[in-house]
Amino acid sequence: MIRTEGIHKFFGALHVLRGITLEVARGDVLVIIGPSGSGKSTFLRCINLLVRPDEGRVFIDGVQVNRPEISPEWVREQVGMVFQSFNLFTHLTALQNVTLAPIRVKKLSKDKAEAKARELLARVGLAEKAEAYPAQLSGGQQQRVAIARALAMDPKAMLFDEPTSALDPEYIREVLDVMTNLARDGMTMIVVTHEMGFASSVASRIVFMDAGLILEEGPPAEIFEHPRNERTRAFVSKILR
Amino acid sequence: MTRKLGYARERLVRSVETILAVLIIIGVVAFIYDVMAGSRGLDIGYISANWLRYVRAVEINLSVTTISFVLGMGIGFLVGWIRTVRAPPIQKILQDFRQAEKQGRARGKPALVATLIASGLRHYVKRVADAYVEAIRGTPLFVQIIFAYTVITVSYPRLPGVEFFAGVVALTINTGGYQGEIYRAGLQTVHTGQVEAARAIGLSRWGAMRFVVLPQALRLVIPPLTNEYIGLLKASALLYYISLLEITFLSKQENYLGHPFESFALITGIFLLITVTLSRLIQYFEVKYRIPGLGIQAAPG
Repeated sequence: MIRTEGIHKFFGALHVLRGITLEVARGDVLVIIGPSGSGKSTFLRCINLLVRPDEGRVFIDGVQVNRPEISPEWVREQVGMVFQSFNLFTHLTALQNVTLAPIRVKKLSKDKAEAKARELLARVGLAEKAEAYPAQLSGGQQQRVAIARALAMDPKAMLFDEPTSALDPEYIREVLDVMTNLARDGMTMIVVTHEMGFASSVASRIVFMDAGLILEEGPPAEIFEHPRNERTRAFVSKILR
Repeated sequence: MTRKLGYARERLVRSVETILAVLIIIGVVAFIYDVMAGSRGLDIGYISANWLRYVRAVEINLSVTTISFVLGMGIGFLVGWIRTVRAPPIQKILQDFRQAEKQGRARGKPALVATLIASGLRHYVKRVADAYVEAIRGTPLFVQIIFAYTVITVSYPRLPGVEFFAGVVALTINTGGYQGEIYRAGLQTVHTGQVEAARAIGLSRWGAMRFVVLPQALRLVIPPLTNEYIGLLKASALLYYISLLEITFLSKQENYLGHPFESFALITGIFLLITVTLSRLIQYFEVKYRIPGLGIQAAPG
């Protein structure tokens, strides 16, 4: 479904990604953990080309997408993204946030887009908040709207960039529940998170990244209970404590 | 229902208040002039016989201001946008290239030349925009007006309506610079996360600008743009100096004909009427298009 080969990224002199090779099969949930600054977010952004990799190849459904002849807009229709800071459009209602791209990019009629948006909002438990503006919603509600907004484009896969780290603890549960349901429904997901409960119950695989490299990869039980790499062990012991 | 009625009533009260405020201001101004005019008193007969001439004259101020303001919007937006574009200086690009060469990942000389030309162009266009804004903000408008008039009359001595034309040119160039700063601030206040999110759901660069950044930035620039318009309208009075037959020119003439206080009473009254109405109107739109739940909002009532 999603495959990357030897992704390198430089920010000026900074070598942020040092050759990331990964594969995520359809319906898999890959969780990426690692200390801050290890390149997790940059790697996610390389997949939907919000950041262009300097070297290496990104494949979606077998098509190499980081080529000049493939428009980044097309890639972003295939892969939805959810951000740490929600980034809902502040001047639009929840409903309008969800319908914007279907109407403007997919050229769906307003009625069709709205019907679908209401369905999606109901799916994330926010049917009654359709007319609310982002500033009138709690963090958890905003993040759930953001998930609905990404789903509105019918993506084949979803990227989550620390979706719960900007949330008050009381709102984390509701967002994780939505994500868990999404995974159960068979969505292919790559999730950067430090929610170990979510990782161990939902992830098919866990990847530990540090300093732009993948240091260890395996099923949750293995990574959390028997990490082989020393740095993985140190990191896991810190966040599981 | 009662809520709606409440709003309508509130609006009525507010417009009555506005009209009252304007009348009181005019009354006070008239009184002050009356006092200054001393035993002679204000010649009400002159005012009632001539007010229409003043209104005609202020129409010239309004049209010069409006034309300049609209043209300045185009310039201002362009300048403001350019000033938000990131343009690394050439040295930085070369430095990055050398770094890349060392690490053996350089993309070759043609790619470097292309980047250099693209960002060099961007860099210098940006510099020009910066210089324009600084030059406009750093010199008196009065000087700019005389400069524009001089340049135009020297180049085209027989141009009909040269005062009007020169006035529009001077005010356009001036307001373009100030509006550039307004748009720059407006665009920069919109969080980069908004653009990233817009791009991530498949909008193009222009789509993100049009559907996400602009609607938010325009709301932010409404109040400063109103100030700019009002400021420009007041500044248009300076155009009497280049013999534009606008309201200050008329009033100066009437001074010589022996009606100084009446003519100043008229000019103040007319300007106040326009500016106060305008700022109230914009206030209304500001409230209407305010994003619910965002920012500090005045308590109702």
